[in-house]
Amino acid sequence: MTAHPIAPRLARRAAPAIVGVLLALFVALLAWATPANAAPASRAGTADAIDPATATESIAVWIRQTSDKAGIPDVSVTVTGDDFEQTVTTDPEGRVTVGLPGPGTYSVEVDASTVPESAGAIPAASNPREIDVSATNTNVPANFLASTTGGGAAAPAPSSSGGTSGSSEAPGGTAGDGTGAAIPQANTGGTGFWGVVASKLVTGIIFGLLLALAAIGASLIYGVTGLNNFAHGELVTFGGLMAYTLTGFGMPGWVAILGALLLGGLFGLVQDTLIWRPLRRRRVALVPLMIVSIGLALATRYLFVFFYGADRLTLPNNPKPFLVLGPVSLRFTDVVGVVIAVIVLLAVAYVMLRTKLGKAARAVSDNPALASASGINVDGVIRSVWIGAAALAGLSGVLIAYYQSLRWDTGSAILLLIFAAVTLGGLGSAFGALVGSLVLSIFMNLSTLVLPENLKYAAALVVLILILLFRPQGILGRRERVG
Amino acid sequence: MNLDFIWLAVGEAISPTTAAYALATIGLVIHFGFTGLLNFGQAGFMAVGGYAFAITSLKLGWPMPFALLATIVASAVFALILGIPTLRLRADYLSIVTIAAAEIIRLSVKTAELTAITGGATGLNGAARNFNELNPIPEGRYGFGVLTYSADQVWVRLVGWALVLLACLIVFLLIRSPWGRVVRGIREDEDAVRSLGKNVFSYKMQSLILGGILGGLAGALFILPRSLQPDNYGTQLTFFLYTIMLLGGATTVFGPIIGSMLFWLVLSLSDGLLSLGVQSNILPITSTQQGPIRFIIVGVALALLVVFRPQGLLGKKKEVFFSA
Repeated sequence: MTAHPIAPRLARRAAPAIVGVLLALFVALLAWATPANAAPASRAGTADAIDPATATESIAVWIRQTSDKAGIPDVSVTVTGDDFEQTVTTDPEGRVTVGLPGPGTYSVEVDASTVPESAGAIPAASNPREIDVSATNTNVPANFLASTTGGGAAAPAPSSSGGTSGSSEAPGGTAGDGTGAAIPQANTGGTGFWGVVASKLVTGIIFGLLLALAAIGASLIYGVTGLNNFAHGELVTFGGLMAYTLTGFGMPGWVAILGALLLGGLFGLVQDTLIWRPLRRRRVALVPLMIVSIGLALATRYLFVFFYGADRLTLPNNPKPFLVLGPVSLRFTDVVGVVIAVIVLLAVAYVMLRTKLGKAARAVSDNPALASASGINVDGVIRSVWIGAAALAGLSGVLIAYYQSLRWDTGSAILLLIFAAVTLGGLGSAFGALVGSLVLSIFMNLSTLVLPENLKYAAALVVLILILLFRPQGILGRRERVG
Repeated sequence: MNLDFIWLAVGEAISPTTAAYALATIGLVIHFGFTGLLNFGQAGFMAVGGYAFAITSLKLGWPMPFALLATIVASAVFALILGIPTLRLRADYLSIVTIAAAEIIRLSVKTAELTAITGGATGLNGAARNFNELNPIPEGRYGFGVLTYSADQVWVRLVGWALVLLACLIVFLLIRSPWGRVVRGIREDEDAVRSLGKNVFSYKMQSLILGGILGGLAGALFILPRSLQPDNYGTQLTFFLYTIMLLGGATTVFGPIIGSMLFWLVLSLSDGLLSLGVQSNILPITSTQQGPIRFIIVGVALALLVVFRPQGLLGKKKEVFFSA
């Protein structure tokens, strides 16, 4: 590690600004809040009729009345595709999710005779309907509205797998991409271009905050050890899985979130004690360390599969909208996730700027030899950073599990996003990681306005490459670092 | 007790997949072992080669030699595009750029919009047809016991391993040539080589192209016995290649062959033993829990190898530049 004298000063100057922006944003969120009424619920991955949880592609059917948006239960729906046909009935909320054998175009037809007369009829123009399902797109929406006014109210066009139409009725917003990196949950209640933009912006900000929790840890680890930790994604997944286990024991959500934070920190301590500290003692160089982290990532990831299986796991969650801001409606857990993320990010900022540990950590990332000579316990600082980074990653994991979904590869799917965010903000700079995460996540979600949904992850990686090529020091990094 | 799995494991060690992994690892040895380039995107080179081969032979109907030429050209072009901006970057930056580039390739080819060309997420099937038409071996069954192969299966094994041996020979000669000395010099001390008036960038680029072409050819070989699936080219393919490389020896010419054979032999044997244990209820795990175990083995092996035996099975300790 070489010295980077400007970074802390920049960080010092930038920090209040960022904190201010965050606070302003948060206050604005609260000020604009109106209590939710009978707006449609938003939720991906509802109760399964035929276990679409294991399918890599699925269609989420939702049948409701136009008048009060109430779901119509017990309606028979037939989904047909190549060599595939399945008839299912809707649950009390009027929903049903159908697991599919593979990508392709499927025809979704509502059996009109099973729609109760009191609910009206579904316009023939939108029934049956062709739905395009791309690979690994789950919960592709197929929404039907029944109206008593006789076909006057046509059902809105289904949001295709491309996800750019931003249908106002899409449960779970647009469908997830192949990597499961980001499944937007913000529901677009309003129509029109700006409604879609606002919804994507909010999704981008929320996911960016959650990503930042993980990215800051990765950045700190890079700062004090020089290691690109390829096993950082597994720290994220670990938090989600611990929360899943805790809720499985019947613990409430706040215990699960706290547990993920604490157990995540413990995981970091164990990792440092058993693996990283002995390797530091052996003076293992950076490239082998990186490869060790790759091996650790592979082994841990598949240990998760071994214990938790390869299916999508769901944390108990209330799908009712809690906060409706114009075109965007958020669930209770989405709002809580944002609040927790902001509070924890402020706490991290405080620790980094105002405490001895933070000062020591920054000193170690500047120059470990000098830090050691000035009496700083370098090994202790590195251990603290591992604990803190793993705890933050665990918290990020549980919040992402609540916000989107949880699987054995939830963390590893966003590993390159974490790297991209860290690089974008400037390697080794904690505040850079925060800014980088937000910029990257917003960019990623807005990119779906022009790009196919499943290319947004690729778009983020293109940004990563461009940043490395043209501004390797990142947004907040020191200028003299040349790649 | 059914002990066929031991023979199947031996068969796995000489399978075309093992040959393809060995070939891609030879490419990686040129990049990492001899030039010191931390390429984490070898899976991307394999994907580019595989798609170039499959698309030209399936969609464009090109005959075998031209499809092969297209494979080589496509991987060389990918190496150029990747190399021109990135070869001046530091090692860890290069690793992130290459891993990201490989993922961009994988995510792009599987988008629904490109289905007409790349087959989208389902990939492409039947790229081996032209290849099998060239098969001079008469129809029939060859081998013994569970290791009995059709004429086409023998053909792909023969060609695959011939290709691997040819690549080894080329690398063996190159590394002992003046070119090889310069490249190894870059690995040890880039600035020293530069001060001797050598164009370091140009040598690195040549190394990237050469190893990339081998990766591309490996991608083509990889899809001969199977259909082309975009998700086969994820990051973990690259990490498997790193495991194979470190197993055989990162700075050796024949290490990739030994490494690849041993890698697949061990995976296949452990799978067989686990199945045996699960079926006879000796092991308290379910059959779905059996799948992840091979990856856990690979991960642990990779971490242990790089720390405790970085020179691999065939390498010399003093040539292990990366743990200095």
